[in-house]
Amino acid sequence: MGQRVGQGTVIAQAAPPRTAEAVVAWLVPPACRDEVVGDLHERYTSRGQYIAEAISTIPLVVGSRIRRTTDPQMLIMEAFALYLSFVGAAWKLDGPSFLNTQWGYLRLAIPAAAALATLKLEDAYARPGKRAPLKPILDTTFSFSVVWLSQFALLAIDPRWALPMRIMIYGSAIAIVLVSTLRILFPPCDTRPRSAT
Amino acid sequence: MTAILSLRDDAYGVTIHAKVEELSRPKNVSLGAVYVTLDRLEDKGLVSSWLSDPTPERGGRAKRCYRLEALGERALQESAATAKRIWDVIAEVWGKEWAKRWAKEWAKER
Repeated sequence: MGQRVGQGTVIAQAAPPRTAEAVVAWLVPPACRDEVVGDLHERYTSRGQYIAEAISTIPLVVGSRIRRTTDPQMLIMEAFALYLSFVGAAWKLDGPSFLNTQWGYLRLAIPAAAALATLKLEDAYARPGKRAPLKPILDTTFSFSVVWLSQFALLAIDPRWALPMRIMIYGSAIAIVLVSTLRILFPPCDTRPRSAT
Repeated sequence: MTAILSLRDDAYGVTIHAKVEELSRPKNVSLGAVYVTLDRLEDKGLVSSWLSDPTPERGGRAKRCYRLEALGERALQESAATAKRIWDVIAEVWGKEWAKRWAKEWAKER
């Protein structure tokens, strides 16, 4: 690939660095990877311009993809199932004592919010058209590995916000069952709408 | 939608962004904002899209081309009628001389 200038001189056409392009391709959801990475490649003028444009474009593309793959009713049901799992676990194990502690209800919302955010990102980054039967269970389980990491991070930063281990174990187990069931019954949409091909 | 209409068969991310920037001058529009808008228009059925063949100047990546649907054409006609009504009111208040001067300046700028 080259561009001819003057007589007999061939210069290589400007192209983004391979590493930068690979990072951008990794960050862009697969459903719109080709067009976004291709457009950024075509608009490349310098390394700085490419990186600045990628930084400003990728969050909007991911946000748009999240909006497209999120069904508001499903979002509410998942949020409800996640939060109820942790509240139920806290109630079952500690009675009202944990719930009555300061910020008790808010502390229970942290793992639920982390799981929901991870699930939405997983949906956004899912490959359209590819849906394995075990995907709902695997996605939910993976989101809880992120939840557990976030809890360990909280333990290291400020243990007052982390949940007791037994509530985490019971809450996670209930939530994985509930959310997996919901996602098997109502799979998230992952295709482009209407006439898109 | 105006950009897609004017670009006809060559409407994809880069060209649509360039056209939108031209139309919205002097405001800058980011490429990401164009994608978000195109996604929304597609969800509403105003435009449709398809992937073209990969090209070497894009690093072997495909283009997502856009086309205006009948619903989009109707929406665009309504927008044009609204813009015309706004223009008429402004021209009526600020006078025909102003409207002529402005139209001349605008044509020069293009």
